[in-house]
Amino acid sequence: MWLAPAAQVENKVIAFRLLPTFYKGSSLTSVVVSCIFGWTGIDRAALGVLGAGQRLSRDLAYKHVGLIVGPASDALIAEATKFSDSIAVADHPLLDSYHSETTLTALTEVCKQLNPKAVLLGNDTYCQELVPRLAHRLGGSAAGDALKLSGRNETVLVTRSVYGGKAQATIKLSRAPAILWVRARAQEPAQQQALTTDLTRLTLTLEPNTKIKLVDRQTEMQGTARLEDARVIVSGGRGLGGSEPFTQLRALAEIMGGQMAASRAACDAGWVPAEWQVGQTGKKVSPQLYLAIAISGASQHIMGIADAKTIAAINLDPDAPIFQHCQFGLVEDYRQVVGPLREKLIELLA
Amino acid sequence: MNGEHATREVFWNVSQVWVMYVLLIPTMLVAGYGIYRRFRTWRRGRPEQRFDQPWVRIQFLFRHAVVQQATWQKRFAGFFHALIFWGMVNLTVATTVVLVHHDFGLPIMQGQFYLWFQSLTVDIFGALTILGLSLAAVRRWTSPSMPLVHSWEASMILILLLTILFSGFLLEGWRIAATNDPWGMWSPFGYVIAMASLSWMSIPAMQWTHAVTWWFHMGLVFGFLAWAPYTKLLHPLTAVLNLYTAPLSPIGGSLHAIDFDKNESLGVNALSSFTWKDLLDLDACTECGRCTAVCPANAVGKLLSPRDLILDLRHLSRTQDDFSKPIIDATPALSPEALWACTTCGACVESCPVSIAQMPKIVDMRRHLAMEEAVLPDTMEKAIGSLEARGHPYAGTQFSRLDWMKGLEVPQRADIQECDVLLWVGCGGALVERNQRVTRAMAQLLDKAGVNYAVLGREERCTGDPARRMGNEFLFQKLAGENIATLQRYQVKTVVTACPHCFNTLRNEYPELGGNFEVLHHSQFLERLVSEGKLSPKAQSEAKVTFHDPCYLGRQNNIFDAPRQLVQISVRPASVEMEKSREKSFCCGGGGGMSFVDEPANQRVNQERARQVLETGADVVAVGCPFCMTMLEDGVNAVRSSDPSTRPTKVLDVAELLWDSVRDQSTTF
Amino acid sequence: MISPAKGLTHLMNILVCLKQILDPELPSRDFRIDAAGRDADRNTAGLVMNIFCANALETALQFREKHGGKITVITFGVPSAEEILRKALALRVDSAVLIRSDLSQRPNPWCIARVLAAAIRKLGDFDLVLTGRESGDWGDGQTGALLAEELGRPCVSLADELKADTVNTALVRIRRQTDQGWEALEASTPLVITVTNNEHNVPRIAKTRDVMQAFRQPLTTWSLAELGVDAQSISEDLACTEVVELAIPIKQTHCEWVTGETLDDRISLLAKRIATVVQSA
Repeated sequence: MWLAPAAQVENKVIAFRLLPTFYKGSSLTSVVVSCIFGWTGIDRAALGVLGAGQRLSRDLAYKHVGLIVGPASDALIAEATKFSDSIAVADHPLLDSYHSETTLTALTEVCKQLNPKAVLLGNDTYCQELVPRLAHRLGGSAAGDALKLSGRNETVLVTRSVYGGKAQATIKLSRAPAILWVRARAQEPAQQQALTTDLTRLTLTLEPNTKIKLVDRQTEMQGTARLEDARVIVSGGRGLGGSEPFTQLRALAEIMGGQMAASRAACDAGWVPAEWQVGQTGKKVSPQLYLAIAISGASQHIMGIADAKTIAAINLDPDAPIFQHCQFGLVEDYRQVVGPLREKLIELLA
Repeated sequence: MNGEHATREVFWNVSQVWVMYVLLIPTMLVAGYGIYRRFRTWRRGRPEQRFDQPWVRIQFLFRHAVVQQATWQKRFAGFFHALIFWGMVNLTVATTVVLVHHDFGLPIMQGQFYLWFQSLTVDIFGALTILGLSLAAVRRWTSPSMPLVHSWEASMILILLLTILFSGFLLEGWRIAATNDPWGMWSPFGYVIAMASLSWMSIPAMQWTHAVTWWFHMGLVFGFLAWAPYTKLLHPLTAVLNLYTAPLSPIGGSLHAIDFDKNESLGVNALSSFTWKDLLDLDACTECGRCTAVCPANAVGKLLSPRDLILDLRHLSRTQDDFSKPIIDATPALSPEALWACTTCGACVESCPVSIAQMPKIVDMRRHLAMEEAVLPDTMEKAIGSLEARGHPYAGTQFSRLDWMKGLEVPQRADIQECDVLLWVGCGGALVERNQRVTRAMAQLLDKAGVNYAVLGREERCTGDPARRMGNEFLFQKLAGENIATLQRYQVKTVVTACPHCFNTLRNEYPELGGNFEVLHHSQFLERLVSEGKLSPKAQSEAKVTFHDPCYLGRQNNIFDAPRQLVQISVRPASVEMEKSREKSFCCGGGGGMSFVDEPANQRVNQERARQVLETGADVVAVGCPFCMTMLEDGVNAVRSSDPSTRPTKVLDVAELLWDSVRDQSTTF
Repeated sequence: MISPAKGLTHLMNILVCLKQILDPELPSRDFRIDAAGRDADRNTAGLVMNIFCANALETALQFREKHGGKITVITFGVPSAEEILRKALALRVDSAVLIRSDLSQRPNPWCIARVLAAAIRKLGDFDLVLTGRESGDWGDGQTGALLAEELGRPCVSLADELKADTVNTALVRIRRQTDQGWEALEASTPLVITVTNNEHNVPRIAKTRDVMQAFRQPLTTWSLAELGVDAQSISEDLACTEVVELAIPIKQTHCEWVTGETLDDRISLLAKRIATVVQSA
């Protein structure tokens, strides 16, 4: 089972306690697990997950376990020790990169060992697909896109947007364990706490999955950082009428060091890649500035930008719903604006 | 001399006349076959009732064929066409007189009749025909390519006719001179030629040339008669037929319903799917090009050309033996791109002197694309999808059908016992912010006038106009059926609407589906309220207003004056007219589902119309249609943003103008 | 049923799971919450096919066009859900199954997956089971994944392209979206796939003739009892998640309009405001 050969790493990073006390005698203490993946490391999203885990475990008076799945470097483990009460590591050669079935099997096995009351994952597409299946295998319940989490009377409550952002629901997950994916970047990042020395290495028996084979993986379509991490986003919608105007928008975005995004209508029309899509079914972004150009602002799109600090819009239609979510806006045909705006911004930002 | 005995010898100098009679047989055969060929083509079309109400049809025929009402719309062309037409009619009558006189042995070609008609009148008309033909030739050979088709055939016809007429005058002149005709002066032009010939030709020379020229003239006439049915000069026959069988409904009522219970083809993608009347239309075309000249889509550089569409169909009908072959995309003028550019404004139909129905054929072919192939432009697909799911075409709107009435007390039909008038708000009036203001003005006017009215509110659906004109007849009938059921359930008698598209559909298209209501455009109803003294406007505004005729109100339903009177009532200065107004109004670009399409930036009909509006220097362009409202507002904004010096012309609905002059506030524009 | 493309001997048997939802285009101001405060009030809103289900159906139709096969559609819902099955029939799917819900409450994904799995076992073997990635109402995004678990099959999520392998008939090639781009996968059937949207699977519209025909086509209708799903597990499923509150969020943002005499003034002002935000970012 969870034999912990901690001695091997003992001298390298930090002194770990052998055999964490709270595992002894099965479920003396209940735990909340925040799941971090070795291939992503501890980025802003992972900090959000850990933060949510910290708060939820505090709410429920459970122990907070940081679980590292996949390649766990010493540096990563060292970083993780700052944010949880204990660390569990599930590494295996087959977990060097993500594979849905293998990762799911691994997670299931790990969770069976840790016996958590709640497991938190981030909101990338991998996490999203793992959550319900993991819940099913553990006989628990699941919820996704959690904006707020709280724990009460040993159950987890999740607040999430429903009906395309028209309503917010609070859902009680009555069947433990509660497996969740949270809107990671919208969560307050984890607070540093006393370094834990409680490390467990879990052994896994995994077999390669032959049913699903990864043939090719294309990443970083934009050639830059992730849209979710962008500080400035310039986004275009149906009103642009084609792919050509996006080059103008990109020029505008570049001088602000920003990234490009688009509404679902623009992506569906094939003007820009689907990865640019922001909204209910696209990315949820949280930039300092979201500049929406020729986007009308259906509630489904607003869902994706709810966490933006400042929203500004340029639209010909003063009644476009986007303006109801803007801090400032200009009613004008974007064709008249984008070029001169770029010139002026070059001066101002110089 | 005594005119009682005045006459002339029919063949005089010509011998072996029997040869002419023999030649007449092949001539008639060839010409007859030419006509029969066309007739056979028409019979391949589907049946259609077009012989009802003969008296109405005869009157229509008189106006258009005899008086040539439509042809005169173009002054110059109308003038020379009338000369040629009346000249040819006279010459034909004169020839018939000769026939009766000589071959039937009824001596009618004599006396006063001979002198006044057969000599003087025919002579003058002959000369006028030559004048007409010459003017036509000058135009044809000097004008740019549009709107004419520059063909070998057209030039040949002119040359041939001119030669026939000139040779006819020469024959007349030589006969007068050689016979020393005592009545020769009754044919003044012939007489001039006689005098001129006498000065340099001997009588035997004249006799000899006369004989040769006579056979030449006769040959040309017979040749022409035989050839004409194979050219556009078939139109004296087909135009008359086509005018007699023209649709009697206004243009707005010219689309026919599909019976979905029968296994008809849904729309048209083969000549065999057209009715005989559609096929007759093709042969009636005189290639005058007026339809393309007035087409708004063509004017902004789109592929659509109603004339080429008709001519290409005609070409197919004459060259394809197999009428079941696909016709869509057979030529550029028949391509989906061209078909989807149509705003269904009806300008082509209105402009046609021989009553060809171009627009309904376009809709027929759209029906095939929309229903049999289910391939529409993306944005139209979205509008259709929204109509199916929500009963309105505005996909993604954040408004409900009740939002416009916020702050007003508007009775909803479901909440009250009865009402005199149902205000049909329409999707544009309810769901487009700018038009909500018009609907509010309308409701307030009705309140002020003490009209007992109500709206359907959430029970209203799109009338189906955009669905029908985007080719989805099935969806149209579904929506219409739902609306008719609702209106009948509430026992509605009178419907008033500010949307000409709703107006047209309710008025002209619902009766065929069993919905019969009195339908009024809001301009008509408001004008009635003013004339009955129920509204007392005080015209205070000094705004210079021009009125833009909505196609579906004006051209398609012949309502031009009611909205103009409302403008006149509402503002002090006389309104100004645009160059293209009334029947000739230029579409805003929003009809036929086109307001749901993103047109290429350099091919926007609304900007073209906005430029025409701005040319008048008006402060306000008054409209009476929610589509015109948004299209023109966008158009004016676009033109102004590229040229900020242009006048800030406002777009206002006639109801807004009236409300401003009715309510107790000074008007501000 | 469409016969196989040249070289393929095995015809894929495809099931597409559909869901009828409250029209997502219902304007926000018309959105109401029911008296119990647990779900949206149907009110005046229309019901439509969930868009991702339509994307899944379109993906299946394109697959069948290219490679042949048979498509069955299934939905679990109230009787009005028949409408979306008719829509699918109008797109010429081969058969349609309606499982009538007689539950007193909205079924959650656990319950839906259990019912669908029971129906699938009754219908026979499917090589591919397609669902939408999530629904436009509650947006749980779990049904497809849970169904895979119920059936004990692997699952590929967020697929936006699906092709048959030219050699191995039990293999499909899938392109799926990820955060940073996409992945190309080879997967063995039987398999559950959740489908997302891209420019290639925009749902087609039906031909009118097929729409008319669709109303006359037979429909298999089953009740939960006929499926033999036991009531105990259903109520356990329903109890595992509970909506304790549903509220309409209040938005308070006030948009400040950028104004100015000339267009140039307005753009200058806009540029200044943007620059301020960017520099503080």
